[in-house]
Amino acid sequence: MTKYKKFFIKAKEENLEALELTIRKSSNFSFSFFNNEIDSYKMSDSFKISARGIYNGKIGTAESEKFDKNTVDYIISRIKENAMLLDSEDKPFIFKGSKSYKKKNVFNKKLAITTAQEKLQKIKSLDIKVKSASDLILNVETQYHEQAQEYTILNSYGLKLTSKTNYALVYSSATANDEMGETKVGFAYRFISDLDNLNQEEFAKEVVEKTISQFGSAPCASGKYKCVFSPSATSSLLEALLSNVSAEQVQKKSSLLADKLEQKVCSSKVTVTESPLKKNPFFRYFDDEGVATYDKTLIKNGVLKTYAYNLQTAYKDQVQSTGNGYKSRGKIGIELVNVAMKPGRLNKEQLIEKLGKGIYIDDISGVHSGLHPESGNFSLIASGFMIENGKKDKPVSLITVAGNIFDVFNDVIAVGNDLNLQFNGYEVPSILIKKIAVSGK
Amino acid sequence: MISKKLAMDVLNIATKTGADFAEIYLEEENSVDISVDNGKVETCNDSLTYGAGIRLLKDLQSVYGYTNDITAKGLKKLANDLSASFAGERIIEVKTIKKVKQGKKNQPRIPYDSYPREKIVEMLKQASEVMKNYDESIVRTTASFAYDIKKVSIFNTDEKQFSDARTKGRAGLVAIASKDGKIETFYSAPGAQKGMEYFLEEIDLNKFAKETATSAVMMLSAIDCPSGKMPVVIGNGFGGVIFHEACGHSLEATSVAKGLSVFSGKKGEKIASSIVSAVDDGTIDGAWGSGNIDDEGNKTQRNLLIKNGILNSYLVDNFNGRRMNEKGNGATRRQSYKFEPTSRMSNTFILPGKSTPEEIIANTKYGLYAKSMGGGSVSPATGEFNFAVNEGYLIQDGKITHPVRGATLIGSGKDILLNIDMVGNDLKRAQGMCGSSSGMIPADVGQPTIRVSEITVGGTGGEINND
Repeated sequence: MTKYKKFFIKAKEENLEALELTIRKSSNFSFSFFNNEIDSYKMSDSFKISARGIYNGKIGTAESEKFDKNTVDYIISRIKENAMLLDSEDKPFIFKGSKSYKKKNVFNKKLAITTAQEKLQKIKSLDIKVKSASDLILNVETQYHEQAQEYTILNSYGLKLTSKTNYALVYSSATANDEMGETKVGFAYRFISDLDNLNQEEFAKEVVEKTISQFGSAPCASGKYKCVFSPSATSSLLEALLSNVSAEQVQKKSSLLADKLEQKVCSSKVTVTESPLKKNPFFRYFDDEGVATYDKTLIKNGVLKTYAYNLQTAYKDQVQSTGNGYKSRGKIGIELVNVAMKPGRLNKEQLIEKLGKGIYIDDISGVHSGLHPESGNFSLIASGFMIENGKKDKPVSLITVAGNIFDVFNDVIAVGNDLNLQFNGYEVPSILIKKIAVSGK
Repeated sequence: MISKKLAMDVLNIATKTGADFAEIYLEEENSVDISVDNGKVETCNDSLTYGAGIRLLKDLQSVYGYTNDITAKGLKKLANDLSASFAGERIIEVKTIKKVKQGKKNQPRIPYDSYPREKIVEMLKQASEVMKNYDESIVRTTASFAYDIKKVSIFNTDEKQFSDARTKGRAGLVAIASKDGKIETFYSAPGAQKGMEYFLEEIDLNKFAKETATSAVMMLSAIDCPSGKMPVVIGNGFGGVIFHEACGHSLEATSVAKGLSVFSGKKGEKIASSIVSAVDDGTIDGAWGSGNIDDEGNKTQRNLLIKNGILNSYLVDNFNGRRMNEKGNGATRRQSYKFEPTSRMSNTFILPGKSTPEEIIANTKYGLYAKSMGGGSVSPATGEFNFAVNEGYLIQDGKITHPVRGATLIGSGKDILLNIDMVGNDLKRAQGMCGSSSGMIPADVGQPTIRVSEITVGGTGGEINND
């Protein structure tokens, strides 16, 4: 770490009260096959240093991907200039450290030492399996992404923490045309730590099934339906709901969960936890302010148990930081890591059986625009299946589901046990809800 | 950023195993973000982006890598690592590099880095005041400003060197209104590839602030939008996001080349109503999505995508062009050196027609007026899209009546284009950030006011009552 010493010496010379550096090194490796031929191959190494410093009682920030003889001057001078511009009354924090940290080794050595050639062969074989699983499949694209990251935080109080993680993601998508000539796309993905543990046959079957099962899909009649949301749909809605848990949103009066601590905000079937210490690709044992993270329950049997805090919002409410301070473009905001919903007893089929007559929503999209986290209202394009007599019936597409996220989670009748880790790091099951407004034909 | 000699060395290392093309893309970008929350300056951040991407092509295969280490050692190592993915003999060699002269559009008159940040802060605070003072239901305002100054150099095995300087600035205003347990948010974000002169002379940020607050407060009294199929009048400017998502993405070679787009193989066919013509124009001086060159070094162009309803042109990058037997047409873009470039939109809009916006509303017995659109998304393979309406009103008997909330427009790109039955004369462009495989890039969307005879509207207000 001697190469970073210069920053702290310069900071002292320039009368900064405190300085914090975070250094992120990542290497990426990815490739993709298109119809069994390799068509893209990528590799990279990158580096970024982000700094926050207290000057004149305010916190200034700067970050750089360049590391040369001018970097120290650049960072320190920008911190000073930026700090001088601030007039927020927020108390600035550079953290001295938590009492203890639950460091775990989550770096997967086998993944790191497996040769590129071996990875290429395994993914090619998967691509071939997907393509040959059905004559109806026109195109297949299979991608492999691997990332290794080393994240270090250093500050002028002597805090020094490092975390090293790596993971791989396998993603495959297929297209096929149905009898009407309409193109359908289906995909599946897995976060994996060992390519040998990927059941290729099962994975290929899933991709093809997801594609072909949409054949002949059409909008259903508009109306209110009893409904099951898939894990993927549930995770998008839950993420929006939990943005209201941010203490910053609460303090700034833009959270619908303000003044709702220890109150019932969801159905009693809903229990949601945040487990940053869970060993998976999203593992974090300290947040971007250096605060030790810990596992906690956010919503217990429908009752809101805590807000998520960084140091500054915690100071305002006179509580401890919950280790949820994460940085975006210099600013420490609030984020949740490894959110999970407590599973119920029923598997997906049993949940559908319990539903009886209604709709299964497999996929919703357009969340970034069609869902307003501040108001909780959403109206989103969706696809899935009709459910008749407790069984999957006709496929449905080009419909919207609309409502309010709070109503959805209040209306939960049952929670499935089909937990599935989603792209957003949420591990959630399917949920059965009383009703949802569907707009179709 | 690097010498011609080093560029040649790196390109020759990259092509030693049989690549038929190689390219080095170098980038240095200074970005500044300032944000004012409830009238107080909360963050100010400087960020320096710096790195190089190297791309190798061999027939229909591409190999890409990037690094922050732009030293001879770093670049040569990357080129060498990448070349290992091919196992053939050298087929090309670079012997010289010629600098290609570039256009000088999109250059700032008042550069951001010489303009005092205090004055930018002052402008943001004023706009915050305007929003706050508009109505007592405004509970939170944010005003932010971001600018970046990017220098790009490209070297390739066609023995050419290109460079471009790109400066852009954008303000962001958010007004949050709350009353009786309801919260509504509205935002606007004007920007251009110009310097401070755009904010000082061309637009009035306080006017944007007032409009933003007005819309947020207006939506508090909105009724739930009815659902069902109905005629929809889509407002000018950001309304063009529909064309961008529902049609533009499906015209990019990224999906067209592999036959993955609904518009693959449809050139010369009627894909839109005959009153629809649309362009993608990266040459407009100072526009948000413009460039002198694209990210492969090709000169940007004004590409006529649709002419009187007939598909006239795709947006093509050199690599995907190989599958299509077409040349790149200045439409290759990327967020940064961390992304392999591909065909993307720049400033994409529907050309103006003859009707006035008033005529369009007056000719609509019942329907939705989507005055201001939010974002949306589309699946290029199926053409299915969805868009949020940020500010919408019911049209009853040719008149605008109640504001409505929670409306979403869904459908399929190929249907909506055919169902456009009126095109206004009030063309306007608006700024957006477009995300796709080569990252987030600035892009203008645009259109005059248009009417679509029938779109599925999703909302929570129940079935339409057409009386």
